[in-house]
Amino acid sequence: MKNYLTKLAFALATALMVFPAFTTRADDAPKTKVAVVISTLNNPWFVVLAETAKARAEELGYDATIFDSQNDTAKEAAHFENLIAGGYKAVLFNPTDANGSVANVLKAKAAGVPVFCIDREINATNAATSQMLSDSYSGCVALGQYFVKTVGTEGEYAELLGIVGDNNTWNRSKGFHSVVDRYPGLKMVAQQSADFDRAKGLEVFEAILQKNPNLKAVFCGNDAMAMGAYQALVAAGKDKQVKVFGFDGADDVVKLIAEGKIAATGMQFPKLMAQKAAEYADEYIKGKRDFQQKIPVKVDLVTPANVGKYGDFGKKQ
Amino acid sequence: MMRRAIPFIVLIGLAGGILWFFPLFSVVPLKRAQEEKAAATFNPQKFAETFWTDKLLPYLDKAVPAETLLPAIQHDPADAKKRFARSLGMSDSYTYFLSGTGRVIAVSDDEISLAITAGSTNAEVSLPMGMLFGNAIRDGTGLLDVNAYPNSQDFNNIANELNHLVETRVLPGLKERATVGATIHFAGCAEVDDESTDLKPLHVVPIQAEVK
Repeated sequence: MKNYLTKLAFALATALMVFPAFTTRADDAPKTKVAVVISTLNNPWFVVLAETAKARAEELGYDATIFDSQNDTAKEAAHFENLIAGGYKAVLFNPTDANGSVANVLKAKAAGVPVFCIDREINATNAATSQMLSDSYSGCVALGQYFVKTVGTEGEYAELLGIVGDNNTWNRSKGFHSVVDRYPGLKMVAQQSADFDRAKGLEVFEAILQKNPNLKAVFCGNDAMAMGAYQALVAAGKDKQVKVFGFDGADDVVKLIAEGKIAATGMQFPKLMAQKAAEYADEYIKGKRDFQQKIPVKVDLVTPANVGKYGDFGKKQ
Repeated sequence: MMRRAIPFIVLIGLAGGILWFFPLFSVVPLKRAQEEKAAATFNPQKFAETFWTDKLLPYLDKAVPAETLLPAIQHDPADAKKRFARSLGMSDSYTYFLSGTGRVIAVSDDEISLAITAGSTNAEVSLPMGMLFGNAIRDGTGLLDVNAYPNSQDFNNIANELNHLVETRVLPGLKERATVGATIHFAGCAEVDDESTDLKPLHVVPIQAEVK
């Protein structure tokens, strides 16, 4: 019996010595790599998009890295070269240019790396595995209707456009104009690009404001430009005269809507899109192949009447 | 001297022959180039008109009868949504494709209100009479697929053009003939964005409307 117990103790001790060694090896095994390629991190909205995608990919057990394209298609192309060579198994992608980014996605596809577009689309349906896109057009139709309701059917207004090569810029602008252009009394006296950038929004709108003292409103293609425009209005003492309309659902703009300083925005749900894209990549890596090519994500109109329901880049639960 | 020039002459002749059959560029009249470019560009107006006549109108008999849908919504909106609604992508909004006959109980510049159920005096369906916006017709029938359009601007323009066709082909006749007490047979699509306001009455954008 004693002999038996000694043998059992020896066997257990051996098992305990060996088993942790395996555990340590499993921990040290390199994780599958997922890339998060973002058009620009010079905008808090895209930072949220990037960090949420990264965090969700990490939660799912991947080693995720963020690449900043700085709104430059050449930098974006270099990122794709590097990530393909670096053995990344999936790309969560916010494109810089609807046409210019197609070649990068096709290159990844040829290398067997699936690409999941987030928020912005590419003008191809045979390149990305799936595209999760904010329904910017419909969001701006709703925003345009609210614009007419609050500004009225007469008066001068200006528009700040985003990056001219991005489909979202035109989907937003066209959605807005599909409503507002039907009221001939509403005159657009200036339309200029500020590249979705807050500092440029401030600079461009300051110049517009100087030339057009009778403005009643400004429609901005995103919230960063809306913040820039609002800053220019405060500096000029015209923040009560000119109503600001943004698009994105950025936290600072949602707070200003609650304070009655900005008229409205469109909530785009960046966290929801980023999380879903990471989950799709996980499903792909685990073998799923039948993904819907385009998944429009509804944009909610946020106004002083319903602003309490929104915050933290989404709808409060 | 002449002998030395022969290889060059042959070479130039050969190069000329190759360029003749395989030109590096060709000159095309500007008008033809513009026509070719226009033909290659998606034309939403033309698309919507063909779609309206060839696909949409023949499909109207597939609409859910209002006398089935309205009681289902009244009884259990969530179940009615599950059974009869369509939703595009990730969205709380959805659309119904329905047809029915109703009695006009009110007419204004913005809408015509209809009672559908026998004996009802409440507006159960409203047909908008003003400017049309939104994607009710584009998305309501399920005949158009967003995945078929590489550039979503094309898909969005279709919604605009379909609304324009309703405004120009359907609404003028309705405005002219709809009076309180008249009977209207309609088929169309309703977009539900906010269930607290959009279900009672159901705002139906008519694709076809016949006043009796």
